[in-house]
Amino acid sequence: MTEMVKQMGFVFNIDLCIGCKACEIACRNENQTVSAVKWRKVSKLTDDTYLSISCNHCSSPECFRVCPENAFTKRGDGIVQINSNLCTGCGLCISACPFSAPQYDPELHKVSKCQMCYPRQDKGFLPACIEACSTGAIDMENLDSFCSREAVSTIPGFPNSRLTDPSIVFYPAKKRKRYFLN
Amino acid sequence: MEIYRNACPRNCFASCSMLSYVHNGEIIKVSGDPKHGFNQGRLCAKGYAFTQYVYSPYRLKYPIMQSPRGSGNWKRITWDEAYSIIIDKILELNVRYGSNLACGYNKFSGNLGLLHYAVEGMFNSFGPHTKPVGNPCLISGEQAIRSSFGQTVSLMPEKMADANLIVIWGANPAVTNVHQMKFIFKARQKGAKLVVIDPIFTQTAAKADIYIQVNPGTDGLLAHAIAKILIDSSLYDQEFIDNQTTNWIEFRQYVSTEVNITEVSQETGVSIEVINELANLYSFSKPCVTWIGFGIQRNKNGRENISAINTLAALAGTLQRGKGGVYYAHNGLGDFPANLLNHQGPKHSYINTSREININNFAEEALKLSEPPLKFLWIASRNPLSQDHDFKTWELLFHELELIVTVDLFMTRTAELSDLVLPATTHFEDPDLNISYWHQWLSYNEQAIPAYFESKSDLQIARDLTKKLNELSPNFSNFPYELEPIDWIEREITPSVKELYSLKSYKQLLDGPHLRNDEKYSEGSTSMNFHFVFPKKDALGSEASTNVIEDYDSYPFKLITPQSLLRIHSQYETLSWLSSENDEAIVELSEYAAAKYWISEGEKVEVYNLNGSIAATARINRYLPKKVILVNQVGKNPINQVIVHEENSNIGKSSANFYDSSVNIRKWRD
Repeated sequence: MTEMVKQMGFVFNIDLCIGCKACEIACRNENQTVSAVKWRKVSKLTDDTYLSISCNHCSSPECFRVCPENAFTKRGDGIVQINSNLCTGCGLCISACPFSAPQYDPELHKVSKCQMCYPRQDKGFLPACIEACSTGAIDMENLDSFCSREAVSTIPGFPNSRLTDPSIVFYPAKKRKRYFLN
Repeated sequence: MEIYRNACPRNCFASCSMLSYVHNGEIIKVSGDPKHGFNQGRLCAKGYAFTQYVYSPYRLKYPIMQSPRGSGNWKRITWDEAYSIIIDKILELNVRYGSNLACGYNKFSGNLGLLHYAVEGMFNSFGPHTKPVGNPCLISGEQAIRSSFGQTVSLMPEKMADANLIVIWGANPAVTNVHQMKFIFKARQKGAKLVVIDPIFTQTAAKADIYIQVNPGTDGLLAHAIAKILIDSSLYDQEFIDNQTTNWIEFRQYVSTEVNITEVSQETGVSIEVINELANLYSFSKPCVTWIGFGIQRNKNGRENISAINTLAALAGTLQRGKGGVYYAHNGLGDFPANLLNHQGPKHSYINTSREININNFAEEALKLSEPPLKFLWIASRNPLSQDHDFKTWELLFHELELIVTVDLFMTRTAELSDLVLPATTHFEDPDLNISYWHQWLSYNEQAIPAYFESKSDLQIARDLTKKLNELSPNFSNFPYELEPIDWIEREITPSVKELYSLKSYKQLLDGPHLRNDEKYSEGSTSMNFHFVFPKKDALGSEASTNVIEDYDSYPFKLITPQSLLRIHSQYETLSWLSSENDEAIVELSEYAAAKYWISEGEKVEVYNLNGSIAATARINRYLPKKVILVNQVGKNPINQVIVHEENSNIGKSSANFYDSSVNIRKWRD
């Protein structure tokens, strides 16, 4: 093996995310996806927190397992790719993925998804979503070696992920003081 | 692929510098400009959607005309035809009335680039005409700042990162000033506390270490109560008060006789313990910055509320260098000659000046004009029929107007009701110069692509129109139409601007934005003189202080209409990338109100008062005060239909009171 195998993944800090959607639209700006195709989505996690997720480039990707055309591959850095030449648009991956990462493109009749901006990464740039995040809420690390006492592998509201082992870790929200009107 | 440097011209704190990536004359991507010290290489969601904005299928491509007005029976015309129609009307009105006072414009913040003052410049070039004065947005606060500080004050927003305590009163930067959040978080990472005081549990409030919900319009009372605690406990900066303030004795007397903590607690809804906690924070955490948001001045006591917060910041000893300070707005334009805005027109034989009407009461005042009445209205950089108020009066005004011309990029509600609509360019299609009302960076905006179809900038329209006008009626206008955009830009870069922004020529801005030389010009702050302003008795207070809806209340709810994340007022509505926020009106109401009116989540309801009504979808917000409702701003179904601003006596010196309206809600009946 010439290249060290690693698993790049996202590190998401709940406290730093203000739900501004810069990451979501920066992804569109970079990849010029059609309106129906959302590689990254920001949603409300609770009343006062947000979640920004894309493909989590799982260790055991269900898309990879269910695709009858074997269109999915996993790079040495852990990025899960889809080969659009092989995709027939059957949609099995869409129903299998717990994170709605594969997106059906109604114009091309094919599935596409976040590729962690590997063309940017290969040139030494950060993925567009991470570059766009002004508060540093999204970052990336090699999760094979990443170690943090405060980071956790899942949070309430995040889809059940035991099956696929998604490459994302979280810094959970801290408690705050709030004085509401009676 | 070529890369150009652009500057976002939106009515937004950030005025970001950006890069556009152009391939075969088309923008394929944008990014933030890493050389801009405020946005630091990043944009907001709206900024990242600019490729969709520029090439939106909804953009206007050609001049169009409809007849009759409002019929939707649009016909494409040439620019020459459009200019002829406009010029015929201007000349005919001039003959009919002996002056150009029957011609007027309404323009505000659709594009804040300095060259967009071409609209004002064009009208100035006709001699005396009818012009709007004042400012709907931030002038009440500016007046309050001037009365307290004797001048406008502007601190570098980047320096908020050095604070130990940040108190935000009525601002929601997580939505309206996204790039400021990183400086706030930087301070927090170093141990600073973030306190947010707001009637609404906003996205920023959710990030606060301490969030304090307050009844709307009662911020000033809260500030005075904290001041009283500081005075009673001698926790104030006596040396500063002795040396650098006036009116202290009178203020102390006012606080001791007029401010009752128990009463304030009841009116504001903030407990005495929390008022004490705030007093402790203000006196012991330095540097302490106070950020006064624009939301506070959207009611008739706005100015008094802001004065009260200023006073608290002074009393707590936060105004001296290194101790914190007050953030409100930066008077960026003040450094520049604004040659287009201040263009001097020709003299009229007997009319000395233009006829000024208050922009916050435009329709009503315009309708009252006589000798001559207003007959021709030019609307640019604005969508008053979505974003102004008192639409019934606007309709009456439109009825009296003989020609309405709107310059815009999209078919707004205002454009739909105009005679002629002229297509405007985006900022990628024309050069410009951009400053901010928040940070202190000066940016150059390069032309990156050719104009979209037949669109033109406000400046190009002014040049073409005045040139043609003078061909038909020599010397009618004195607009220097031969000047190119770049000539206007060079004229803004005066010797003092060069010194202030460390520039030899505007060309240096092509390599990156320049920062205002703040240090040199803020030396005066140590000799600043603070004036303790306090209101007349009962000028502060709230009508919404009781939390029970009585059956006799016809309009029990205070209406607040905040900015949406993915819009600037009605701008950006047609972009599918940004459409996740519905284009339908959403009314948020408290659980209490929902239960009382039997309204459930997602139900269609009517929001109404004597001025009008709109249909909206109900959403229950469990953090909302019982008697407050929130409605988003939607261009084609504007909540402003129910808003009528009550003009106070301070003409041209007061913001529009968008948050003073009371409304009721009921289930929708088809």
